[in-house]
Amino acid sequence: MTRPALLQTHPHADLVRVGENAVRITGRTGDAEKDWRLAHAVSAQLHTRESVTYVSAVPTYESVLIEFDATTTDLGEVLEDLEDVLDHVHLDLPLRPQPRTFQVPVLYGDDDPENPYGPHMSRVMKITGLGAQEIIARHSEPTYTIRCLGAPGGSPMVYGPDLGVPIPRLRSPLTRVPQGAVSLAGLQATIAPTVAPGGWSVIGRTPLQQLDLDDEHLVPYQPGDFLSFHPIDADAFLELEGRRMEAEVLP
Amino acid sequence: MTGTLIVEAAPMAIITDLGRTRGPRFGLPANGALDQYSARVANILVGNAEHDPLIEVTASDARFTVTADALVSVTGADAELRIGGELKPMWEPVTVRAGQTISVSDITAGLRCYLALHGSFEVERLLDSCAPDPAMGFSSALIAGASVPLRRSAGAAANDHWGHSLFNLRVLRPHIGEVAQVDVIDGPDIAEFSGTADRLFQDTFTVTDKSNHVGLRLSGGPLPVRTSRTEKLSRAVPIGALEVPPGDELLILHRGRGVTAGYPVLGVVTSTSLDVLGQARPGQRISLRRIDAEQAISHARAWRAELSALRERVALAFSSLGLAAHLPSGSAHRATAGAGAVASRDPTSR
Repeated sequence: MTRPALLQTHPHADLVRVGENAVRITGRTGDAEKDWRLAHAVSAQLHTRESVTYVSAVPTYESVLIEFDATTTDLGEVLEDLEDVLDHVHLDLPLRPQPRTFQVPVLYGDDDPENPYGPHMSRVMKITGLGAQEIIARHSEPTYTIRCLGAPGGSPMVYGPDLGVPIPRLRSPLTRVPQGAVSLAGLQATIAPTVAPGGWSVIGRTPLQQLDLDDEHLVPYQPGDFLSFHPIDADAFLELEGRRMEAEVLP
Repeated sequence: MTGTLIVEAAPMAIITDLGRTRGPRFGLPANGALDQYSARVANILVGNAEHDPLIEVTASDARFTVTADALVSVTGADAELRIGGELKPMWEPVTVRAGQTISVSDITAGLRCYLALHGSFEVERLLDSCAPDPAMGFSSALIAGASVPLRRSAGAAANDHWGHSLFNLRVLRPHIGEVAQVDVIDGPDIAEFSGTADRLFQDTFTVTDKSNHVGLRLSGGPLPVRTSRTEKLSRAVPIGALEVPPGDELLILHRGRGVTAGYPVLGVVTSTSLDVLGQARPGQRISLRRIDAEQAISHARAWRAELSALRERVALAFSSLGLAAHLPSGSAHRATAGAGAVASRDPTSR
């Protein structure tokens, strides 16, 4: 079955209609890194243009949702413009010329589903068949690339650790996930900058504060920066609680 | 002389605007007025730019006083508007004298009223918008006793000529019927429902009380069934996205929606119908209708043309009273996506 919303294909991407006011460009280079760079490069192009055509561009892992005002802008014009942008995108340019690294301390949960820091560690253990120590080791081992910023605002979205299987979203989402929650869903991982409802499995919590409404970027990191986690104990958590998340200073 | 608006009682009122267009790229929802048409009309009627801050009152009574003469308008859900105790028409500019009370009460058909004041308000902004974002801890809550400074002098516009039917502004007033029709465009992931999408268009649905600015939940059935079980990577979903989450309800995301999500998008509610949903209270019956994007655009353009015509009639009324209406020259709120651009702010507003 063909997708009815498919508007156009480009050698690097599919352009799909999403309602009357939006187009989604999804990379199809066959290389997830290139698809990701394409989504963010298109978005950056649209953000720097002196144009009244676009309302917003929201890049994520491999696609970018582009919103425009269809009452004043013709879809044909939008598509023509996006084709042009796609023709000139550099798929090999890094997102950030000098990415920074953020070291994130985490107080992880255990096999106790009542654990206030990582209430779903036990769930992830059941799904993966791995022990808590093994999950912690696999979660804190890689250096992750921040792929995009997500809901509820400023969440650093990364490809999650290799746990063998994807972690399904919760059947009934929690109404209140605490600020600092370190969580997994599908093949993804993130840290909650603020209290919000959520359907991801929470395996731990960082004492650091990400959000700063007075900062024009809201959070200290941007897509293309690096993130890594390391386990801490309850004493260290209390000591670090409320401290602002900052990039690692290189010697 | 600029005055202030003093909040007497407004338990369910907020100061908002048309939304935070710079939010989504940071993962923040757009938020803003849930009935955008009524919000735009309210601002146009008092000579403001369409994206100026105004008050949204939801399903409750609200009372304010002003310390200086002012020109106000109230639009949206059917309600009782009283100025200094006297009944006044909605959907028209109305003069308020210093010290008088503005009261909006008895909201009947619909859910939300919009109160705009000539000159608008001086309020805090996050990424160029004053729309509250509760998750981010950003709000301009209207606490009883609080005073909100007005941005410009409103006194001259307050004028006894208003309200004497001198000006027939002929505002097109939307009406929410017993069964509200809501138009849906096929979504990009409709194939993941293997032909069960048609179920949307068979029976009526009912808005449940779990609905809010983030999204409306609709019960009724039978519901379309998601046949794919793959876990999706999160991606940006539009306002109006129609999803079938686990459980027995439909979810239609509204302006407070989480920007990124991993559920398939079965349909997208049109911008015109999102305004209808902004007025839908729990218990409201909804009939979904499938239309294509071109039809949706022509509906949206028809409403926008009404706004343009209204803007001209209001400008004429203002100039015939010898007033300068601080009206935007073109269609307002076409923010550029420029990083750090301030184009979402109208050059004529100060």
